[in-house]
Amino acid sequence: MTTVAQAILNGMMTGMLIAIPALGLTAIFAVLRYVNFAIGAYATVGAFAAWYVNTRLGLGVFPSAIVAFAAGGFVGLVAEQTALARLRPSGALAVAIASIAVNLILENLIRFIFGNDLQGFDLPIARDWRFAGLRLGPQQVQTAAIAIAIMAAVFLFLRFTRFGKAMRAVADNPDLGRLLGMDPSRIAMITVVLGAGLAGVGGVLLGLDTAIDPMTGSRLLLSIFAAAVLGGLGSIPGAVVGAVMIGIGEELAVLVLPATYRSAVGFATILLILSLRPAGILGERNI
Amino acid sequence: MKPLLQVKNLERGFYGVRVLNGVALEVMDGSITGLIGPNGAGKSTFFNCISGLYMPDKGSVNFAGRDITRASPQDRMESGLVRTFQLARGFPKLSVFQHLMLYGQNHPGESLVASLAGSKAGQKHEEKLAEEALSIARRLRLSHVIDNPVTALSGGQKKLVEIGRALMAKPRLVLLDEPMAGVNPTLTAEIADHLRSLNAEGVTICLIEHDMKLIGSLCDPVIVMAEGRKLTEGSFEAVVADERVQEAYLGGRH
Repeated sequence: MTTVAQAILNGMMTGMLIAIPALGLTAIFAVLRYVNFAIGAYATVGAFAAWYVNTRLGLGVFPSAIVAFAAGGFVGLVAEQTALARLRPSGALAVAIASIAVNLILENLIRFIFGNDLQGFDLPIARDWRFAGLRLGPQQVQTAAIAIAIMAAVFLFLRFTRFGKAMRAVADNPDLGRLLGMDPSRIAMITVVLGAGLAGVGGVLLGLDTAIDPMTGSRLLLSIFAAAVLGGLGSIPGAVVGAVMIGIGEELAVLVLPATYRSAVGFATILLILSLRPAGILGERNI
Repeated sequence: MKPLLQVKNLERGFYGVRVLNGVALEVMDGSITGLIGPNGAGKSTFFNCISGLYMPDKGSVNFAGRDITRASPQDRMESGLVRTFQLARGFPKLSVFQHLMLYGQNHPGESLVASLAGSKAGQKHEEKLAEEALSIARRLRLSHVIDNPVTALSGGQKKLVEIGRALMAKPRLVLLDEPMAGVNPTLTAEIADHLRSLNAEGVTICLIEHDMKLIGSLCDPVIVMAEGRKLTEGSFEAVVADERVQEAYLGGRH
């Protein structure tokens, strides 16, 4: 019983971390209508940028997360401007495939610069808290708190700022948005920065939880994509719900299956959702 | 009558397919001009070029004496050239009232500072817009659904919201893309009456429509497009009698 409860708790924690890049993926899909698989590499870029300023410059967790957002957003914007945006007239599939290429290129650039080794953040070692037989690390609580704060910020941004409203409007009906004076290419660019930046922060939060290497983001890509699909691609609350469900599902699966099958949860989820309810749990649109 | 909209030699292609092939036509001030033609004639692309959603490859668009060929869609709307869409989707989460408010012009509370400070001018303007929105809803008989989300409306009601939206922008010329498609016959007659009364108030209308009875009773002149250019123009009777028009619709002589 305790093991199951512990697995659910751990799953919720990882789920909240997956939720951040999943928000990025779903936001980019909502506005630009393509699945950006480079999200994985953007997460890795963010993680390494944060790792660098944390271990070399001695910055704390919060400033490192901000650096991760900036680094992810910047790389995302460059990739969009130099490669992905040009392919948009050829259709969503072409852009999605190109984003896989971007993912590979970035991953190997990071490998070239930082090497292939596992890198850990410079964090104080702390004893886990125990509560009713469950264990919870102070670091986990801190990263989860950051994740929740970021989610809240994204919701507030989309709901109450002019730009957030414009983003939702363009996602719903780009032509009508243009007639009302919204510039879709500008909105697309800012969405990419936001989405890739979120991926970057997600990367650093996951790195804080364990360690990072050039494959960090790519390994998570499946979980991130599964979370967004489960919640309904393009649905912001859906990405969060989907991520938490994927997180819990993966942890529970490991209780009965060897750990190597963890990623089977993501595949199985994508398969089930696409065949049973393609719009996802909270998705409104058929894709 | 003077021309309100003058289009010269408009060309637009997509991936090597030329959809508009030198369209030249005029919409007279105060008219209800019908735009007909077989599927694929380029009517919707033509509307998209006129309303600024597509940039033409060649040619010019002149509206109320001003060259708007390269103007932004918003700029065109603010100068009184307003369009509706064939698929009246709107913004699915907004209510009818919110849709009407969207098209209110020259809101002074739009700057960040003004919206935070809750400017008096902005509030007053908002109230005035709300009044206009209510009166337009009353006119189009949408009052009873004014707080419903547009996704909950029938096809015909959605078309009425589109027209209402256009009216909020205080248009001089309204481009209507198939206002009667998917609308039941009773409501079709009602929409036609709305268009007549609008026109009587001085709004010029140009509409794409496939309902020939409606075109015949409502539009003069009728412009026929085929294969990306204007085929002919005239009264409905003259146009229908034209052999070239029949050919265009029936697929030509073999």
